[in-house]
Formats: sequence, C-alpha cells, structure tokens
Amino acid sequence: MTRQRGRVHFRRWTSLRLRLIAVFALVALTAAVSVSGIAYWLNRDAVLTRAQNSALDDFRDSLQRNAASLPAKPTCQSLEAAANRIGSPDTYQALLIADAADGRCAVTSDRDSFSLDDVPASLQRAVNTPHQQDHDRYHLHWERIDLQGHPYLVAGARINDGGPTGYMLKSLDSERKDLNSLAWSLGIATLLALVGAALLAQAAGSAVLRPVRRLGEAAKALGEGRLSTRLKVTGTDELAELSATFNDAAEQLEKRVEELRAREAASRRFVADMSHELRTPLTAITAVTDVLEDEAEALDPMIAPAVRLVVSETRRLNELVETLMEVTRFDAGTAKLRVDEVDVADMIMACMDARAWLDSVELDAPRGLLATLDPRRLDVIMANLIGNALKHGGSPVRVALRREGGEDGEVVITVTDHGPGIPEEVLPHVFDRFYKADASRARSEGSGLGLSIARENAHIHGGTITAANGPHGGAVFTLRLPVRPRAGEEGAGRSGEPSGATRADVAGTGHGDGTPGGAR
Amino acid sequence: MAPVPFLLLIEDDDAIRTGLELGLSRQGHRVVSAATGEDGLKLLKEQRPDLIVLDVMLPGIDGFEVCRRIRRTNQLPIILLTARSDDIDVVVGLESGADDYVIKPVQPRVLDARIRAVLRRGERDATDSAAFGSIVIDRSAMTVTKDGHDLQLTPTELRLLLELSRRPGQALTRQQLLQLVWEHDYLGDSRLVDACVQRLRAKIEDVPSSPTLIRTVRGVGYRLDTPQ
Repeated sequence: MTRQRGRVHFRRWTSLRLRLIAVFALVALTAAVSVSGIAYWLNRDAVLTRAQNSALDDFRDSLQRNAASLPAKPTCQSLEAAANRIGSPDTYQALLIADAADGRCAVTSDRDSFSLDDVPASLQRAVNTPHQQDHDRYHLHWERIDLQGHPYLVAGARINDGGPTGYMLKSLDSERKDLNSLAWSLGIATLLALVGAALLAQAAGSAVLRPVRRLGEAAKALGEGRLSTRLKVTGTDELAELSATFNDAAEQLEKRVEELRAREAASRRFVADMSHELRTPLTAITAVTDVLEDEAEALDPMIAPAVRLVVSETRRLNELVETLMEVTRFDAGTAKLRVDEVDVADMIMACMDARAWLDSVELDAPRGLLATLDPRRLDVIMANLIGNALKHGGSPVRVALRREGGEDGEVVITVTDHGPGIPEEVLPHVFDRFYKADASRARSEGSGLGLSIARENAHIHGGTITAANGPHGGAVFTLRLPVRPRAGEEGAGRSGEPSGATRADVAGTGHGDGTPGGAR
Repeated sequence: MAPVPFLLLIEDDDAIRTGLELGLSRQGHRVVSAATGEDGLKLLKEQRPDLIVLDVMLPGIDGFEVCRRIRRTNQLPIILLTARSDDIDVVVGLESGADDYVIKPVQPRVLDARIRAVLRRGERDATDSAAFGSIVIDRSAMTVTKDGHDLQLTPTELRLLLELSRRPGQALTRQQLLQLVWEHDYLGDSRLVDACVQRLRAKIEDVPSSPTLIRTVRGVGYRLDTPQ
C-alpha cells in the first residue's frame, strides 16, 4: 500500500509537475538568454564604438595638427616632441615613424608600453597601403588587439604626401570593466528569471495537479466502495467541469448500487420470510405425521399409501425448508460458528452411524485427531459429501482423514467414490446451487443445495472443499478445515466460561453463542 | 411424579397447538394447552403440570418473560419451542431458565424423547449424600442445601450437579455432560451445558463470578472441586 503510493507519487513527480517545470524553465531560459545576449551585444557595440570613435577622431585631429606642422625631414627630437604632444597617458599613447634627417626614426609618447612590435603586421600593411580608389591616399586603419590579457585599440595612419606614420594605442580596460559588470548583471537577471519560472511552474503545477490528485483520490475511494464520495466543484474551468462529471457519475453509480442492493436484499428477505412462513403450517403438519404414520397400518389399503406419501413428503418438505433457511442465513451473513474441541474421527463415525452408512463406507481415520470446529456443521458437510458419493458415485466409498501442517495446520478429509467421476465441464459447477449435471435427472436426487451448503459450511470455518476426479476414475472431494479457527473467523473467540455472559455482551461481540471471552 | 406425564403447552398458533396436542397425547402424555403467556401462567397455578412446553414467540408477554416468571417461584422443567437453533433466542431462553429446547418444526417423537429425558432428571438414582464445602447433596431426598438452607434447583441443575459430584475433581467434557444430563446425541448443543452451569453457579457459589466449586477446565469442560 505504502509502496504503491510511493510509486504513484514518484511517477506523478516525474511526469506532469517536472515536465511543467522543465518547459517553464526552458522558456524562461531561452527568453532571458536571448534578451540578455542581444542587450549585451548591442551595449558592447555601442560602448566600444563610442569610445573608439572619439579616440580615433581625436587621434586623427591631433596627428593632423602636430604632424603636418613638422618639416619634411624632421629630426628625431622634433618627432618625439610631436609624439608627446599627440599622446598622453590619460587617453592613448602615440607612435610616430618617419624618415628623419638622421635616418629612420620611430618615437613613442611612452617608450615602456608601446612600440612598433605591438602593432600587428596586418595593420601596418593596411596603413602603408595607399588606396587606389582614393587617388592613392592613405587612410586611417584600426584594429582591436589583446596585449598581455588587456584589450587595446590600435590605430594607424600615414600623413599623406610624405608625412610621418602615426600609430595610437588606447587601453579599453575601463570599457571592458563596464561590459563585464553588465554581463554579470544580465547573468544574474537570467538566473532570477529561471528561478522565478521554476516557482511559477511549481505553482501552476500545483494549481493543476491538486484537483487532479483530489480527483484521483476520489476515484480510488469510489473504487473501494465509498460510493458517497463527492468532489467540491469550484470555478468554471475544465477541471471543475471534470469534477462535476465525476460527481454525476458517482451519484449515478451510488443510485444503481443502492437499487441493486435493495433488490437483492428484497429477494433474500423474500426467501427468508417465505421459508419462515412455511415453517408454521409445517410445524402443525409435522406434529400429526407421527399419528398418521402409526395409524397407516390400520387404514384402508387404498388410503394407507396416500397417508405414507403425505408423511414422507412432509419430511422432505421439512428438510427443504430447513436447507433454505440455512442458505438464507449464509446469504444474510448471520450464520454462526459454535466451536467445540472434538475428535474428528469420532465425529465422522457418529455422522455415518446416525445415517446407517457404516457398512457401505470404508473409513480410514486415525482417532485422537482433535480439532476446534462446529460439530453440527462438520456433520452437515460430511453427510452431504458422503451422501453425494453414495448416491452418484459407486461403492465402495472411501473416507480418509489426515492432518497437514504443524500446530495451526489443517484437517484434510477426502471422500472418494468408485463411480464414473464427474465430467470436466461439470466440475466447476458441482458446488452451484440447484445445479444438476443431468437436466433429466429426477428431483428425487436431492435438494440441489447439499454441496453448496457443504461448501458454505467449510468457508465459515475458514476451510475449503474442492472436487476433482481421481487417477483411477471416481470423484474425489477434499475438505480442508483449520485445526483451530483462524483469528477473525466468526465465533472464533469462544470461551468455556459462561459466567458474566449477558445479553448485551452477546449482542456486542456479535458471536451470539452466549459465551464471550478469550479463545480456548 | 404422576405415572402419565402431565404437560402444559403454551403456543399461540392454533394449528401447531392442536397438532402438538394430538401428537403428544398420542405419545402418552396428558396435555393441557394455552394460547398466551398470561393464560399459561394462570393454568400453571390451577393445574400443577409436570413440565411446560413453551413457544418463544408469543403475543403479549413473550416466552422468555414467561420462563423468568415461572422460575421465580417454580423449578418446573421447561422445554422451549424455538424457530432457529443458532438464534439468539436459544441463548436468551436458556439464560431465562429453560432446561432444553427443540426447533420447529418438531416431530412429536423427538419432543417426547426430550420430555422424558428432562423428567428422568428428577428421578432418584442413589441413596447416599455428599458434601462440597457448604453444599450438601442428599441423593436420597434429591435435595441440595447450602449452609443448611434448601436450594431451589431445577431437575436439570440438580442432575448436572449430581453427575459432576459423582466424579469429584474429574473434568467432564461438555459432550459427556450433554449425554449424561440431557441424553443428547453427539450433536448436542454445548450452550445448554454452559447456560446450566451458569445458573447452577448463581445458586450454589458464594461469588458466582469467581467460582470455587464448579470450575471451568479450559479446552475441556467442567469439574466439581471441594473448596480448600
């Protein structure tokens, strides 16, 4: 039960709820990542472009202004002075290269951090390549590079008409820092969105799953027979509609079951009442049958057979009514066990003796096998089984008794006949009420209730009766009864102590045998 | 005891009453009958029968009440006519003081056998007496005294006490007691024994709920002990 519930719980967890959370999280992740990504790239572009444009514009102006004023063949010193004017530690470093009077000269505004080696060859090439489309003029070129893990903007331009070549190097560290903090913020925002989505999914899942679970529990309760189970219908959504449908179905079911129960109870009551009502006239008739029987000898030979017929049929009718009442008691669940510790072999012997069967039955029953059972019910079972074997099977009928199992074992009694056996198609029905293997069989074969009652009597003990065919032909009926009534069996808690037994006790314990108390 | 058993039959259904009267008369009994409990109690005072056959379901005061009222003053044997053997009726009837019961529909022969068995219980079978604590059983006078006072026992209670006292200290099973006292066959109802023991204890024990004379032997039956 617990395991099953656990499995159901687990399955539910892996299915709807988790799927909902996964879908929500995926949607949130996609949305957040794309929004953050786009925002980041747009921002990055904007920040870099702005910083870059302002630096390049400044560099271009400054280069124009300072380099153009240089003579055609400047000295290295003047070149250096110009470089220092262009570059500054706050903005960018400048590097000027020119064919000076004292040879080729390359100077920088800050010798330690910028040299021509830092300028990529591709940029140098681009800077020194005149543009054919633009009348062989030189353009400003730039590139973003990475030096020792720091981002830099490097740009270069050659002053047209034989001027010096200028390079600049600007650190983009501050921009990178800004962008990094932006990325962090966006990442955290994404994470928050994810958590929010998961929580939302959980809430939505609960909102959907709670009614579903309630519905499931209600359906289970209905299945267990609590037909009055109903759901509370709230709202107007699909789930509310489903709950309403469930309630309707449950109500219909309850009504139908009630109808069927009432009808069944009515028919049972009818049989019970009828057999009860038959009893009063039967008692009166039975009271005088002995008188009639005794007088039959002295009567007119024409009347005597009629009297005997009345007498014998009255006895049959008595038995039939008694049997019917027994059946109704089983049906109504009011049949009671009145157990006593008895020697089973003695019981079987007495049962056969009372019916003058000792000569036609072989008995293999060791004495001394004690069992706690209802002697009257065992007698009914044995009388029916042996009577059935004698009537339908062939002699000799063999009754064997043995014990199986340990302390709380079973008494096993087999009744074997040497008749033709029971046809396979009849075997499952031999214990059915009023089932007759051969429809043409006369009613004198018995009430048709005998084996059914035998089985009911075995069941009330917590035992069983089975029918089979023996290996050498002939039917084998096997009766198994617990040596001691099992706990929970009706009337099992019988005691031999009658003192203090009151009517209230009897009614309260439901045993009805008037001797409540511990098991013997 | 009269040579011809004189019975009082209390039964409300005319047909059953007539039928049983016929059947029992045929078995050699003298029968007087009543249709209600009230009439039956009145007849009991006037006619002094040997035994009462009493239907449980009666209009007016029911069979149990009739049984209780008779027992207040009289220890006459009572046989109940009941509808079902495993019914609560049997238990209540036995607790009200009935000696035996038969189930409807009953053959007069069976009822006759029960009647004769009940009547035999009052017959004297020995002439000695025995004492168990404060209880003295006089088998010749068929009386039981407790501390010198006469105890009013029904023939069945007396017979049960006699059978137990014949084997003091020895446990008798319910089935044995059913055969000895009630003369029932192997399918006798052990509730008869339990109910009778209960009534007997109420009369002879000092504290009926903790008996010192008639002891229950678990899983077997009952035993009469001499109190220490």
